[in-house]
Amino acid sequence: MVTSMKKKNFFQFLADCWKNKPLFSTGCALLVMIVLQTLALGFDYPTLGDWFTAWGRNWINILRNNAGVGIVALGMTFVIISGGIDLAVGSTMVTIGAVVMAMIDSGANGWLQTIGITGVPAYAIAIVAGLIVGMLLGECTGLLVSKGKLPPFIATLGMMKICRSVTQQMTIQSNPTVPKGFLAITGTRIGGELILPIIYWLVIAVLLYIVSKHTAFGRQVFAVGSNERTSRLSGVNVNKVKRRVYALMGMLVAVTAVIQISRIGSMDYANAGSGYEMDAIAAVIIGGTSMSGGKGSVVGTVLGMLILAVMNNLLNLIGVPPFLREAFKGVIVIAAVMLQKKENN
Amino acid sequence: MKLEMNGISKAFGQNAVLKNVRFHLNEGEICALLGENGAGKSTLMNILGGVIPADQGEILLGGVKQHFATPAQSLNAGIAFIHQELNLINDLTVYENMFIGRELQKKSGLLDHKAMIRETQKVFDQIGMDVNPRAMVRDLDASYKQIVEISRALMMNAKFIIMDEPTTSLTDPEIQRVFGMLRTLKKQQVGIVFISHKLREVMEICDRYTVLRDGVMVAQGAVQDVTTDDLARHMVGHDVVSGYREVQEISGREVLKLENLSHAPYFENVSLCVHAGEVLGITGLLGDGRSELFASVFGSLEGYTGDICLEGRQVRIKNTLQAMKLGIGYVPRNRKENGIIKDMDILDNGSIVTWDVLTGKNGLLDHKKQRADFNAQKEALRIKLDDVRNGITSLSGGNQQKVVLAKWLTRNPRLLILDNPTQGVDVGAKEEIYEIILRLAKEGVAVVVLSSEAQEVIRVCDRALVMYHGKVVDEVRGDRMNEHEIMRLATGG
Repeated sequence: MVTSMKKKNFFQFLADCWKNKPLFSTGCALLVMIVLQTLALGFDYPTLGDWFTAWGRNWINILRNNAGVGIVALGMTFVIISGGIDLAVGSTMVTIGAVVMAMIDSGANGWLQTIGITGVPAYAIAIVAGLIVGMLLGECTGLLVSKGKLPPFIATLGMMKICRSVTQQMTIQSNPTVPKGFLAITGTRIGGELILPIIYWLVIAVLLYIVSKHTAFGRQVFAVGSNERTSRLSGVNVNKVKRRVYALMGMLVAVTAVIQISRIGSMDYANAGSGYEMDAIAAVIIGGTSMSGGKGSVVGTVLGMLILAVMNNLLNLIGVPPFLREAFKGVIVIAAVMLQKKENN
Repeated sequence: MKLEMNGISKAFGQNAVLKNVRFHLNEGEICALLGENGAGKSTLMNILGGVIPADQGEILLGGVKQHFATPAQSLNAGIAFIHQELNLINDLTVYENMFIGRELQKKSGLLDHKAMIRETQKVFDQIGMDVNPRAMVRDLDASYKQIVEISRALMMNAKFIIMDEPTTSLTDPEIQRVFGMLRTLKKQQVGIVFISHKLREVMEICDRYTVLRDGVMVAQGAVQDVTTDDLARHMVGHDVVSGYREVQEISGREVLKLENLSHAPYFENVSLCVHAGEVLGITGLLGDGRSELFASVFGSLEGYTGDICLEGRQVRIKNTLQAMKLGIGYVPRNRKENGIIKDMDILDNGSIVTWDVLTGKNGLLDHKKQRADFNAQKEALRIKLDDVRNGITSLSGGNQQKVVLAKWLTRNPRLLILDNPTQGVDVGAKEEIYEIILRLAKEGVAVVVLSSEAQEVIRVCDRALVMYHGKVVDEVRGDRMNEHEIMRLATGG
């Protein structure tokens, strides 16, 4: 009798969570994914230790491979909460990447090499330059959206086309070589594992979580996204908030650019980063952030990114052909939003 | 044919809006329907237009009983309702708007543009309107838009037209154009109900009048037998509610001074001053420009000309942030759209204006102080709530409005502007808000209350300026500050 009561209460508690905690269903979905993925990985190992090593390796691979887009998705969370969207992230990453590559180039034409700066100082300067370029590109988008009153979709669609095209034309002659030392930014082993990109991602996620909850800027992003008029009538500089949101996005794209260059040792200006915007938006949406702005969370986006990543891994493990995997992504985005709709009612 | 409404009663819940109202309209006459906000005019006309059903009573058309369950049924019977917000699509042409939903088609299933243009032109010729049917509705001025909507009603054989405050957003020449049209329609035996607050216009255009007060038909008759004063008295009632405050000497320093402030087309050459410790009322009809005037003072409406002086110092206010830093607080009208942020909790809503001040040296918000500041105001304003982390929409309208007030009070403004502060607030909370306003004035804040409710102005204000069509027409205080006088001035009498 007592146990049945308890059980009922427990289920009620679950039902309440499902209804009232916006991230509960997202967490459940992730849990289901992880269980399926673990099953798919199988238990066909000589010892439990071996199984665990394989399981952990698999996880490190998943996280590392998604750290870049994961960081972009964190910025996209702020953009979407503010009521905007950024389609340009993949292209601005290429532009930023081209600048960083040109600076660190160890060939004859490397900008910093020719003035005699090499090694760690050169990398530091190049990274700061990349962050500044990212910020400026973001400020441009922000100006178009705020002062220019362009719909963010249009402004960033334009930026997307401009950035990639100009970058490709400008780099047509160049063939930069990334110095070995630069690869250490992501390639240094911590505890014998290649986990630096994951650490960058997590650190940025924690910082942005604090920004979103505990700073005036973070709260203003929510306010502007929910009700621009009220925000302005409460003395919020709406234009400045929007500009800063896109500038932040640009800087995070710069971080991703550095990570990608360091991991791969080169950048394909024609294709690198294409599809990042959609993957980032998908992660944000799955994480419960509202496309109409005002509602969302950094934690949700991390969960959303993990769902996408684990699902991709799962599909890989059970041998779904690559072309079909995108379809599953589509299904999960639609399912996630339909679930959230239900929660709202 | 005669249109009659007999014994109409309607209640929303416990609230009786119409009590046994009789109304009639003949062909070829214009009848004014008058009354204060909330008198029941709109409800009565919504019943006639088939928008809502009556609880009791009957509608007779030429002696035949009618049942209007939908606007379409009412329209089919020949009654057209032209709402204040016009029902036209700006991006289509005039003739497309005339035929929207009932487009003429050729046998092939394609649109018969020629026939539609011809039919539109026919109606325009009949009423003497010189507009090209091919013109875009967007390019027409407000009066022509109204005429297009009237024409559409005529094309559907409307014999009776209800016009809800048709002149509110029109300029004088535009008003004359619409009036010309109404006279033409009258000659063609169309009956018109003219809902308006503007008594001078009623005297000019209407044949008869009907006055509603608190859901009861209190007077009707021929317009030629009465004056605007009589009509104003009918609308307000003889027993004007007393309960205004004692007249006080205004001795505080001058906090705000406006000199020749203009912003076409909203307001023109407004000069006024507000003193510390004073409650200044600004009143008038909808569209008199008072909201835009103080939106300019708060920096949310750019492009004014003239001077704004704060405490003797001339300032050019460019944005709301600047206004806020200068010590101005602003509680806007339409709380839902302008006052609250619905996705945020009570605490965030009640502290948004102090986030910059609450940010510590480490760049983080001081949540402890945020909570303490808000709780202090919560006690002072007696806001009823469970948890400050609940959503703002979990509160009643009155408590939401108090949260909006509270957020400004945490900044200690020297000038507080309140636009329609008791809109959508129940009676008890209304009185509490009045108490708060008076207390603030006592503490030395200069308070401006914008309101279209004369009773509200009389209740809280030391003196009041009445606006009409963007201009301040007069100042009332003391004995002259009564509903009758305010109504007379506000209606341009």
